[in-house]
Amino acid sequence: MTITLQIRDLSIGLQSTKKITQIISHVNLDVLPGEIIGIVGESGCGKSTLAIGALGLIETPHVLQSGSVLLTLPDGSTTDVVRSSPEALRDLRWRHIAYIPQGSMNIFNPVMRIRAQLTDTLVQHGITEREAIERVTHALHLVNLKPSVLDQYPHELSGGMKQRTAIAAAISMEPAVLIADEPTTALDVVTQRMILQELVKIRDTLGVAIIIISHDMGVMAQVADRIAVMYAGRIIEVGAVTDIFKAPLHPYAQALLGSILQSGHETDQVEILEGESPSPWNYPTGCRFNPRCPHTMDRCRTEVPDLILRRASHQVACHLLDEKVSNHG
Amino acid sequence: MDNLLRIQDLTQVFGTRNPNYAVDRVSFSMPDEPSILSLVGESGSGKSTIARIALGLMKPTSGKVYFKGTDIFTGDRKWQKQFRRDVQPVFQDPYSAFNPAYRLKRVFNIAVRNFDLAQDQRKAQARIEESLDSVGLDPDDVLDKYPHQLSGGQRQRVMLARLHLIRPRLIIADEPVSMIDASMRASFLKLLVSFRDNLGISTLFITHDLTTSMYLGGRIIVLYKGRIMEHGDTPDVTRSPQHPYAKLLINSIPVADPSQRWDSMLPASVDSANRASMNRDRCLFAERCGQVMETCWQQEPRVLPQENAVQRDVACHLYEKTLENN
Repeated sequence: MTITLQIRDLSIGLQSTKKITQIISHVNLDVLPGEIIGIVGESGCGKSTLAIGALGLIETPHVLQSGSVLLTLPDGSTTDVVRSSPEALRDLRWRHIAYIPQGSMNIFNPVMRIRAQLTDTLVQHGITEREAIERVTHALHLVNLKPSVLDQYPHELSGGMKQRTAIAAAISMEPAVLIADEPTTALDVVTQRMILQELVKIRDTLGVAIIIISHDMGVMAQVADRIAVMYAGRIIEVGAVTDIFKAPLHPYAQALLGSILQSGHETDQVEILEGESPSPWNYPTGCRFNPRCPHTMDRCRTEVPDLILRRASHQVACHLLDEKVSNHG
Repeated sequence: MDNLLRIQDLTQVFGTRNPNYAVDRVSFSMPDEPSILSLVGESGSGKSTIARIALGLMKPTSGKVYFKGTDIFTGDRKWQKQFRRDVQPVFQDPYSAFNPAYRLKRVFNIAVRNFDLAQDQRKAQARIEESLDSVGLDPDDVLDKYPHQLSGGQRQRVMLARLHLIRPRLIIADEPVSMIDASMRASFLKLLVSFRDNLGISTLFITHDLTTSMYLGGRIIVLYKGRIMEHGDTPDVTRSPQHPYAKLLINSIPVADPSQRWDSMLPASVDSANRASMNRDRCLFAERCGQVMETCWQQEPRVLPQENAVQRDVACHLYEKTLENN
């Protein structure tokens, strides 16, 4: 099977006057055609940095330190997004890979009608004005908005409608990959549910692969097919959504899932994950979770665990699983 | 015995030509015994406006707020000072709540000075350290730091340490956990519960996130467009909501379990930007309600106690009817 987006060994740093601090380290991730993959982790774990890397939006103060992001084009050829020229990238973005940034309800120009803001991008990509209107209307339809939105100004729309409009803008070129960074964070639960269901519908209709970045495990459980868990700049576990929720293997993933507030759960059923996640300025050596991990071994303090396939389609970066294997063997 | 907090017919209108009823004749109270009450609703439901009025930060268009039996806008200076101490806020954004130019110990030193919490510096220091300990922070680690050196979760806990030091009667917390990480939320909420149980501090908890109020327990008020839709014990309301809006709200919570996915698509929303009607003499949820009846458009439902439920009030014509039939 072709892989729509292959993130390979991607490391991105933050440039200051004296040195470069690594934010995400050697990230490997495959995005399959038409899947919804969720990237979860706490704030500061590098989720959004991974998103801008996948989009080839690495700009000062961010610097590319290693790796590649290979996007498969409709003709079967691949192109490395992080090493493309700015012109090539401009053509790739929106047409093949689109982005719904965090807080995207505030991305609209307040003094322009929605029509111009949605069609401009398409016209820039060489589409005629008339076809652009048709495509935009179709995209609005997919997010349950009427074409009359086109004649309105952003302030006339509610938060949920603006978020939908941003999604419509992103899918109007029918890209192969859509990256949505916290698409529903500032919205109430009812609107959130409608927008998430619309995203699933968009995937079903257009076959677009969607990368959803969120810290909300509930959102992930509802819409994702696969989940990648990030901790301190690394992906520590990737697997099918049911595997991650029912049988997480990495101690951090286990703690993260144990700490979430669940409807129907009483106070005592929530385990509290003690300590704070480290910042890029003091990432621990070895496994970055070792200072908070209840199962830390000597190896964990010195040796970085690789992300290894431990079960069918379930990769984990943890030395503990080596021990278990050798104990049994 | 007077209620700790009593809110009576509170109304807040913004604007005159296009009056926007942020809060519309809301009444509720919190008992003198330590308790937790959650106000939940989506953005624009008026929950933050109620919090700001109850803190005395703004005067309502009409209606009254009583704290321990006294109207909070009429007390003399001495009463006001005590009120400022007895009712303490926790705000949403832990990143803007602290002055970035000062070390964190100043937050505590000012509280000690303003509220005369200790006779001398040594006793003050001991109390400050005790308070930080109680929220799980290391005094040696925190006091000499600047706010930017702490994470959001730590900063919200510093706020709780400050409250532990001041010992107010009531905490009014406006979305205190919405900006901190999921793994930190539980410990913050646990502290609020322990403040109620061990220190006798009540909390008025404002949130859009029902899961956090479920975790806190106590009582809950569901607001919609400035009006109370449902009011009852949190476990009851969340387990068996009666008002169609409360039902919709609770069914829309994303359950963190992939085997319990939403089974049905929600009907496409009515475009809320085009107000169906400016008429407020009706149920304001009518245009979104699946069980809407003719009465709902013509008459405002009263907030009525439900017969079969203990201390549950619902403002919905569906339930008025059953009450009359019985």
